[in-house]
Amino acid sequence: MSGTRLARNEQINGWLFIAPSVLLIGIFLVYPILWSLWMSFQVGKGMNFSFGGFTNIIRLTKDPIFQIALTNTLIFLVFQVPIMLTLALLLASALNDPKLKFRGFFRTAIFLPCVTSLVAYSALFRSMFSNEGVVNKTLMAMHIIDQPILWTSDPFWAKVLVISAITWRWTGYNMIFYLAALQNIDRSIYEAAKIDGVPAWARFTQITVPMLKPVILFTSVTSTIGTLQLFDEVFNITEGGPANATMTLSLYIYNLTFRFMPSFGYASTVSYVIVVGVAILSFVQFYLARERSRA
Amino acid sequence: MIARILTRGSLYVLMSLVAFVSVFPFYWMIVGATNTSSDVIRGKPTFGTALFDNIAHFFNLFDVPRVLLNTTIIAVVGTVLTLALSSLAGYGFEMFRSKFRDKLFGLMLTMLSIPFSALMIPLFIMMSQAGLMNTFVGIILPGIASIYIIFYFRQATKAFPSELRDAARIDGLKEWQIFLYVYLPVMRSTYAAATIIVFMANWNNYLWPLIILQSNENKVITLIISSMRSGYNPQFGAVMVAVVLATLPTLFIFFALQRRFVEGLLGSVK
Amino acid sequence: MNMSTNGWRRLIGAAVMAGASMLSVSAALATEITVWCWAPEFNGAAMKAAAEAYAKSNPDVTLNIVDFDKGALEQKLQTQLAAGITTDLPDIVLIEDYGAQKYLQSFPGAFESLTGKVDYSKFAPYKVSLATVGDNTYSLPFDSGATGLFYRTDLLDKAGFKPADLEGITWDRFIEIAKEVEAKTGQKMIDIDINDAGVIRIMLQSAGSWYFNADGSPNIVDNAVLKAALTTYQKILQSGIYKPVSGWNDYTAAFMGGEVASVYTGVWIVGGIKGNQELSGKWGVAPIPKLDGVEGATNFSNLGGSSWYVLASSPNKDAAIDFLNKVWAGDVDFYQKILVGQGAFGTWMPAREGDAYKSADPFFSNQPVWQNFSDWVQKIPGVNYGIFTNEADQAVLAQIPAIQAGGSIEDAIKAIDAQIQQQIQ
Repeated sequence: MSGTRLARNEQINGWLFIAPSVLLIGIFLVYPILWSLWMSFQVGKGMNFSFGGFTNIIRLTKDPIFQIALTNTLIFLVFQVPIMLTLALLLASALNDPKLKFRGFFRTAIFLPCVTSLVAYSALFRSMFSNEGVVNKTLMAMHIIDQPILWTSDPFWAKVLVISAITWRWTGYNMIFYLAALQNIDRSIYEAAKIDGVPAWARFTQITVPMLKPVILFTSVTSTIGTLQLFDEVFNITEGGPANATMTLSLYIYNLTFRFMPSFGYASTVSYVIVVGVAILSFVQFYLARERSRA
Repeated sequence: MIARILTRGSLYVLMSLVAFVSVFPFYWMIVGATNTSSDVIRGKPTFGTALFDNIAHFFNLFDVPRVLLNTTIIAVVGTVLTLALSSLAGYGFEMFRSKFRDKLFGLMLTMLSIPFSALMIPLFIMMSQAGLMNTFVGIILPGIASIYIIFYFRQATKAFPSELRDAARIDGLKEWQIFLYVYLPVMRSTYAAATIIVFMANWNNYLWPLIILQSNENKVITLIISSMRSGYNPQFGAVMVAVVLATLPTLFIFFALQRRFVEGLLGSVK
Repeated sequence: MNMSTNGWRRLIGAAVMAGASMLSVSAALATEITVWCWAPEFNGAAMKAAAEAYAKSNPDVTLNIVDFDKGALEQKLQTQLAAGITTDLPDIVLIEDYGAQKYLQSFPGAFESLTGKVDYSKFAPYKVSLATVGDNTYSLPFDSGATGLFYRTDLLDKAGFKPADLEGITWDRFIEIAKEVEAKTGQKMIDIDINDAGVIRIMLQSAGSWYFNADGSPNIVDNAVLKAALTTYQKILQSGIYKPVSGWNDYTAAFMGGEVASVYTGVWIVGGIKGNQELSGKWGVAPIPKLDGVEGATNFSNLGGSSWYVLASSPNKDAAIDFLNKVWAGDVDFYQKILVGQGAFGTWMPAREGDAYKSADPFFSNQPVWQNFSDWVQKIPGVNYGIFTNEADQAVLAQIPAIQAGGSIEDAIKAIDAQIQQQIQ
């Protein structure tokens, strides 16, 4: 009797807590998403639409820029996300060590990049990485290179620049999540492991990583989504160039919608490629996390 | 023992290197604000004498106090509302599990992946029909139910000790009281982290305010920086002044909340 | 739960109030003409000068000039036109000439035809035709993008070249001169950002050609001018006469700061060049080089330039047209003012009778710069930019690295054509 009442209370409370957010999401996300889904089957320029069936999907398979954008996006994903998250996790666990001196200073310093706005930091990166900018000057003074690297004119280095910029901006950001989560781990577990002679690396892989799994999952899913939607950095620092070397799917959607003759239908189709991609990758990540927790 | 000292030493060298790389661009923007436009582009790494000229140029071009006030209102109201609604929902999804709501949550996560540029046009139409163009409400409203932050709070709630909730229930507290008086204080550092994230996102938002805001009186800081950068003859010293001004408030929020962090960390060490 | 809901309500209420107060501010003003433009120190400043000129005779009308960056302005305009919601559009908007046909043809009815309201015979003909669809012309033409070869007289002199040696030359000769300049002065002749296809557009128009035919179909594969332009550009890229730069800021910094000896670009750069007064008296201007062995090739071309458009949805469109007519198509003094103040070179011919247009400029070694440009602007071959110039530019840019590396021009043209065909469907 009281069991069912409790269950009903759970139900009511469950809905009450989430209702305001779910309502707003319904209005400001679900409706536009459905609109966009409908659009992805439309063809035409500007506001003259007609139903095109799978025309847009066929167009995808023949579109060289789409294929370049997709490849670039995947390259960014494969290199940038693991580098950044590993770095963030290692830095967080180093900073969580009470024996490390100047922890406050290091922590603050590494956090700092995430307070800059994208407009501000892309202005900074452009000027630092210009041909005669401070980065080239420093590298040349250190005799690492003898010619300035043309950061935004060379297809390879432009990608390196974008990956460096994102990593600079977002590593500290992800570290915040790890540090916050590390506080919830009882120090005595580490102390006990230490007394048992477990080496630092093993403490990291066997205590820190498993304990942080929910947060690692969170950051890897959000970083994956962030990278698949990569727009701000390439828009502001490289403008997708040179020769589409840093063109990403989101930037291509932006071009299709705002720079080129507007093809909203086709732009919507390209955005659903991202949706499908994220859905698959998120599923894989959740699945892997679940498998490991069972083992 | 020597090996240990060496590893310690290299750890400090590495950390210092990372810290230097992280902080250098901040030094760069401050130096830039004191240099003339051509010195900024040529990468002059030392302080110059053009600071006051740059400030004067920037303040002549825009109503800077007004712009900063606008940005502050949007960021503060947006942050408070986002944290309130999203932490409620994150807590709700985790604490009151049901199959249906779990599925709903999974569905919401997939929506996270829709690129914003695909939603801009329908959102714009909705805002315009609701008469919210060129208002702060129009900027704030679509962002306050953030799936991203709900997701974050839900993950963080997994670490919230359920004994605390059970104890509170036995004490006869209602669910909203548990949330307000038990959950909220316990999750202080989670809120602090989320505040930093959401405030930064609101303060630094560019694409959406660009669509919604129409008049100079309502502009936010990111819009004026980008409009300064794109002219035929941009004044980079003045741009750097703007960049510094845009960064100061977020730095301030960050330092204010970081203290919370540090307290929390020290507390857990003791 | 109740208590917290009220809390939200109060907060949302506060937010609504804050927003509403903003709304009422703008609603309280009477005849206010809103203008969108994109460069606060150039066309924004020129528009402000126009507002002052108009205010003398029309004190009851105020102008609200809003600056965006160019990409942002185009994005806002396109979003709102596409959504079919015109209530939040301005009364007057500045559009770059390359994009004019795209807007006019994709959003028919969005812009007000000014035919019969503006005396177009007083404007440079090419500016009028690029804003004409059928029998209607929609723009109030603003600045010209007439091109010039801006060069450092001191450096060229050191290398043994007089101003006359730069008049009417070909690109091949330009490369020879450039090599000579570097040998004698140690400075590169030009700087190049390979992410910018402006030079191809300059070359195409200088010979009266474009990426598209008059009917809008792509004109790539059999376009002799495009082939000559790409071949010439390849020669320039392989000759080593340039300093590579990245992005617009680096690009302008190099010649403004005196690191390279010349630049070929639109006349609107004058304001920027004059920004560095240290080099006053050391600059000169010649027409740009022309393509070799191409029928119809000239030394005159255009890069950029923009015009004002009145939105058909504007409730103040009569006031807006009156304003444009009285100042932008009627005030000679105003044109002198923006020429001196912003280096804005208008395309309203009567302005050229003013003092500023006639006088020699000490900054440019006392050459009659503005008279020269007034002559050149009339010799620019007219072309139809069509509606896909942005797409074509992207297709060309994608092939530049291959061209730079010495790749076959034929292959590049095929690839450009393939990409354009794909993009314009």
